[in-house]
Amino acid sequence: MLEKERGDFSMMVGQQDKITVSQTSIVITNFLLGTGILTLPRTSGEAVKAPDVWLSVAFGGLVAILAGFIMVKLSMEYPDKTLYQYSRDLIGKWPGGLFTLLLICYFLATSGFQVRSVTEVMGFYLLENTPIWATAMVFLWSGIYLLTGGINPLARLYEIIFPITVLIFLIVIFMSASIFDIDNLRPVLGKGIKPVLEGVKTTSFAYTGIEIILIIVPFMRKPEQALKATLMGISFPIVFYMITVIMVIGALAIEGVTSRTWPTIDLMRSFEIPGLIFERFESLLLVIWIMQMFSSFTISYFAAALGLSQLLKKRMEPILFSLLPVIYLIAMAPKNINQLFQMGDLIGNSAIYLVGLIPLMLLVISKVRRKKFEKN
Amino acid sequence: MKKTNTIRYLTSVLLLFLLTGCWSSHEIEELGLTFAMGIDKGEETELEKKFDKAGGDYPKKDRITMIYQYVNEQAAGSKSTGGSTDQKTYINVYETGDSLQQINAEVALRQDRPVFSPHLKVIVIAADLLRTYSLAELLDQPLRDNEIRPSSMVLVTRGRARDTLELKETGEMPAFRLLKIVENEYKAKKILPPVTLAKLTGKMRSGTSYLLQNVIGTDGEIKYAGAAAINGKTNKLIGYLDEHDLEGVMWIIGKGIGGMVKSYDPTEKKVTAFGVESIKSNIKPIVKGNRLSFEVNVKSEGYLAENWNTKEKAFDDKFLEKVEKTTAKTVKKSMEDITKKMKTEYKADLAGFGNELRIKHPRLWEKLKKNWDETFTDIPITFHVQIAIKEYGTVGDQ
Repeated sequence: MLEKERGDFSMMVGQQDKITVSQTSIVITNFLLGTGILTLPRTSGEAVKAPDVWLSVAFGGLVAILAGFIMVKLSMEYPDKTLYQYSRDLIGKWPGGLFTLLLICYFLATSGFQVRSVTEVMGFYLLENTPIWATAMVFLWSGIYLLTGGINPLARLYEIIFPITVLIFLIVIFMSASIFDIDNLRPVLGKGIKPVLEGVKTTSFAYTGIEIILIIVPFMRKPEQALKATLMGISFPIVFYMITVIMVIGALAIEGVTSRTWPTIDLMRSFEIPGLIFERFESLLLVIWIMQMFSSFTISYFAAALGLSQLLKKRMEPILFSLLPVIYLIAMAPKNINQLFQMGDLIGNSAIYLVGLIPLMLLVISKVRRKKFEKN
Repeated sequence: MKKTNTIRYLTSVLLLFLLTGCWSSHEIEELGLTFAMGIDKGEETELEKKFDKAGGDYPKKDRITMIYQYVNEQAAGSKSTGGSTDQKTYINVYETGDSLQQINAEVALRQDRPVFSPHLKVIVIAADLLRTYSLAELLDQPLRDNEIRPSSMVLVTRGRARDTLELKETGEMPAFRLLKIVENEYKAKKILPPVTLAKLTGKMRSGTSYLLQNVIGTDGEIKYAGAAAINGKTNKLIGYLDEHDLEGVMWIIGKGIGGMVKSYDPTEKKVTAFGVESIKSNIKPIVKGNRLSFEVNVKSEGYLAENWNTKEKAFDDKFLEKVEKTTAKTVKKSMEDITKKMKTEYKADLAGFGNELRIKHPRLWEKLKKNWDETFTDIPITFHVQIAIKEYGTVGDQ
């Protein structure tokens, strides 16, 4: 049984198709950086209602590191299996199967959400008259083209995207220094620590995505370095998010940020630098953001397809193709932008249970079992 | 494997169809590039009245008149080919109605190039309108629109917005002149830091009163003249600050480096001018028990720029000290004047005292912010000015 299972995946988990530590952390980083980078200043600003948002973002990052630590510990119990496989071993066939199914739905919803967000933003700021399905199609089809190659092309593509993202993001965001006003970030802790802690719940949503480590550990060449990869993978987004929040709130003030739908793009639209070849930089931000959204979408698509293929013990490709319309339907489900944001909140909330609490539970079960086994 | 390849080929062929691109492209000559927008009190132009008579009317209330400043592509084009032209480089289109979006759409019925505002630079609002409507109402459409960038600057005019969007000269866009004057802050003190739509959102929602740069236009000339005070809660007009008032505010907030101070020698009544090189202003809230007061410390360094008092020598330290003193007095007076006006006339804090309190005593601010403008009128404020003259140019003795 187990042999057969592994046989099915020999194509994907073969030695050649494994990824390095740095690739793993880039996969995590790219999955984390998604819609959050455009909306985080608003959502966290609404939750904190004080200029100390950046502190909440940092604390949220600590929560994420803790969660990542638990996930890695759990994965290390079964370094050659994905969560889908060992959850059934741990809590039984049916509950495990149900959990796997929920996880698959979660990843499908995430990927649909990413597709819809990117088409919404592109439709609003870039391609006003292009129908939403057209942009969605490009996204979906190029995604499936990438995914049929397995995890290695995925990781290599992200390796190309990531440095471009870092470079352009840093250049573009620091160009807004001309409209930065430190008074907008003062006073620090003026209302005490309470609002900061209240904001942590919202900001830790921005870090959902680390759960991917539960699935990619068996794809790692050196699974024992999963913790290192996870820590690296989380620390980049922490820095990115903090810079974003500080620059956006510094320029637009907390009252201004909470009123804007996409505050980070509005920051870029709020200044012009005459004399350079480019005067406006929002398109540069959108370019890297779309690349990031593409990676978030493809990873969650991959995770969902992998889950289904391991659950049904079928080959990956037909499943990839059959999931494509499902993702499209999920993406088109929200009727308006508010429903889209609600969908994002729903995904974030379900992440707390699905990939926050249940892995912790599984870890405890696994430890207890192992002790029992050792006693016997 | 073979099957996969077929599918891959098929997918890539299908993707080709999506690479046609530019579905919604417009040629640049066909765009009605709008660089400035004016919002005036609703008053139909002669042309519009004639249109109405001829049947070009629709259900509306004449609440606002919008002015869209277009590039005149013919004049702009002929300039590059070298031909001289008497044509103005801009065309102003006036349209009256009660919804910005509808007025915008009406223009599309009149012009072959409809309003295209991603390059909008300036929005001028007639301050009179702000007595009836709030800024939040008037600027809702520009803030919401995806075409208009939040980097557009917002100005207020005491007169009519249409006058500030007219220039006598033919070769210049009024929008650009309005925009460029801000950059003269190195020369003039009475220019407020530019307020863009992006910055304005925060101001409108923070609940504290604020200032907007006032411009005036007459006979095809424009001038930055003082400021308009806007109530932070209602976002409506409180009143106007003249240039002297604005100067006082600029000293309090410590902005406007590159300005000058003219003062009269107390005995000789001769003019001396102090050129500002640096300003450090510190607003210090002092809380003693239940009593709140402010202390404003202004330190400025600069040079003696002009002196009509030919009897005195700048080589003489005593004379410089005297000028420092009279200059400090003048600065102090301008600050005191505007503070008095803020307390009695506008009954609002327009110089950021509340902001300092928010930063230094956040808990007290939480209690006071609701009725800050009223509270502010009773708070004692003291001023201390230190002026230092570092040099006196190329002339030391006349």
